Amino acid sequence: MATTVLDGPPNLAALYARAALTGRGRGGDLPDTHLARRGVTVDRDHLAAYARVCRLPFTDVLPATYPHMLTFPLQMALMTDRAFPLATVGLVHVRNRIELLRGIRADEPLDVEVWAERFAAHRSGATVDLCATAAVAGEEVWRSRSTYLARGAQAPAGAPEADVEVVVGALERPAATWRVPDDAGRRYAKVSGDVNPIHLSGLTAKALGFKRAIAHGMWVKARVLGAVANRLPEAFAYDVQFTKPLFLPSTVHLATGQVDGGWDVAVRNAGSGTEHVVGTIRTLEEKH
Amino acid sequence: MADTAKPRRTAAIVGGNRIPFARSNSAYAQASNQDMLTATLDGLVARFGLQGEQVGEVVAGAVLKHSRDFNLTRESVLGSTLAATTPAYDVQQACGTGLEAAVLVANKIALGQIESGIAGGVDTTSDAPLAVGDDLRRVLISLNNARTMGDRLKALAKIRPGQLVPDMPRNSEPRTGLAMGDHQAITAEEWGIGREEQDELAARSHHNMAAAYDRGFFDDLVTPFLGLARDNNLRPDSTAEKLAKLKPVFGRGEGATMTAGNSTPLTDGASAVLLASDEWAAAKGLPVLAHLVDAQTAAVDYVHGGEGLLMAPAYAMPVMLARNGLTLQDFDFYEIHEAFASTVLSTLKAWEDPAFCKDKLGLDAPLGSIDRSKLNVNGSSLAAGHPFAATGGRIVASLAKMLHEAGPGKRGLISICAAGGQGVVAILES
Repeated sequence: MATTVLDGPPNLAALYARAALTGRGRGGDLPDTHLARRGVTVDRDHLAAYARVCRLPFTDVLPATYPHMLTFPLQMALMTDRAFPLATVGLVHVRNRIELLRGIRADEPLDVEVWAERFAAHRSGATVDLCATAAVAGEEVWRSRSTYLARGAQAPAGAPEADVEVVVGALERPAATWRVPDDAGRRYAKVSGDVNPIHLSGLTAKALGFKRAIAHGMWVKARVLGAVANRLPEAFAYDVQFTKPLFLPSTVHLATGQVDGGWDVAVRNAGSGTEHVVGTIRTLEEKH
Repeated sequence: MADTAKPRRTAAIVGGNRIPFARSNSAYAQASNQDMLTATLDGLVARFGLQGEQVGEVVAGAVLKHSRDFNLTRESVLGSTLAATTPAYDVQQACGTGLEAAVLVANKIALGQIESGIAGGVDTTSDAPLAVGDDLRRVLISLNNARTMGDRLKALAKIRPGQLVPDMPRNSEPRTGLAMGDHQAITAEEWGIGREEQDELAARSHHNMAAAYDRGFFDDLVTPFLGLARDNNLRPDSTAEKLAKLKPVFGRGEGATMTAGNSTPLTDGASAVLLASDEWAAAKGLPVLAHLVDAQTAAVDYVHGGEGLLMAPAYAMPVMLARNGLTLQDFDFYEIHEAFASTVLSTLKAWEDPAFCKDKLGLDAPLGSIDRSKLNVNGSSLAAGHPFAATGGRIVASLAKMLHEAGPGKRGLISICAAGGQGVVAILES
């Protein structure tokens, strides 16, 4: 395994441009590369902007979804590198699991590292997991696993079966109705730097095969977190499956259910009932 | 009629919490009122182990409040670690908000309607609500009501460029158009309050508060927020000599004495106080620092009546003292809110003045002077800053702790002036 340490965050717009140009993906196995940044400090103005766009409380503690802001650019750099076997354009984020091992203060410098693993066979292609970890002075405090689906791609021989499903109990009663506006993708893109064209406008989304612009899955995930942020234990796992795209604009229902050890959540279209996100939040009893 | 009133119970002050106060557009520039109040409630909850618990009521408010924050306190409770079943309501009495909130909670506890409650306040002058001007507001309402495209265009055609400039909230009196400082400058001149004594009072406030921080007095009263651990207006090295160099900002000409140094700056911050019945505190194993014995409000006619805008506490005080059979000298600590150094000084001078006490307060003898060494001993608003609605909670919690440290049977007095010519005073006893 080779670890490359970067001095600063990669430029996501440039990476998307590279992804569009370099096109199709090389095939073959996943690279063994790890990308890392050391001693990353959180910019409080950025944290404030993130909290505002995701409707999260703005405090001295990072929302569990925030370290993804620091690791996602590294993951994009990994995925758009020519050593990566799959085409970045067309990858669909289907699942994200975050484990917050303890509360992280905004003034703690973080060492972050990302890598790809678990090339798996899926009934409509192949999946790959983009993993990330964040540590404070050598102590791992956060980890994340984003599963991406490449439709039509072929996993290498002997690959395991994809694991993309998150199972929740019956969630019939909506806790909240959200009007997700037309510009929700642009607003989150501005803060997160995730300028994937499928989120920015109907026109750019159409070019990539979507009928309308779609909301960022990680934005929906963060907004759901905001709805229960004050009712969570210090350490928890927050696992969501992005089931169907949330087209913009939309009116959606958030359904929440308290279960033993945490919450089950779902975001569904208010009219059609189409499920966009289902997730579980569970107490982590001990650090692994 | 015989006095049949039973000795009523008084509310205990269990403790308090606040975030450090920050000068406008500094550390909390990105924080909303709700962010600050929620963080402050959570700090209080953590301090007293109330996670997931329902308290009787949470009462708080903000002076500068956006209309979407109509339920600011309840929304903050819902975002806090308190039980979602905790009722809450908002109050607003300008700079009196925080103390009035404590009085409201204490009264319900005294009546047995609740056993516990949290009183608080928050204000931001950084994330202040802007309003569209009244003319534009009317155009937008008629636009919203328009049924046809023609009506909409007609409504839109009424918009003028000048209307697009929003109304900034200002620290001025709607009926007089004068800034609070300009009002106080008139009062200071009437009472002959000198520049030097104002600067001395301001320097002492900074020194007292810095010393209190240094000996750890605020360790269990303040929780750091957004990287700030102390009030960032605090100048431990402030001196009357340095303050004397500042140019007056309120008042005019020779008589102008009020500067940015002896007036409070615009500030962001929040505070909260936990009150309870003695029984509730004992059942939870929580301390009782002091009791809120009594309170009184008053208001003056500063528009047509010729009284100073910030002189209402002078009127509230003798009413409360008489009701409790106390004199102004019967206290171990005095907390007089330093809106301006000259507010404290003109209030004290009024209580010493035989003519004012006779003609305005209807007293046979003046209330007299106080021992200045007992005044604002851990600093006040000139040092900490003054996020309007948060000042009451800061004072109540600090005074309760001072009284507790001094031992049982000690008395403290609070006096807070407020915009609109109002004032709130209260007695705490350990």
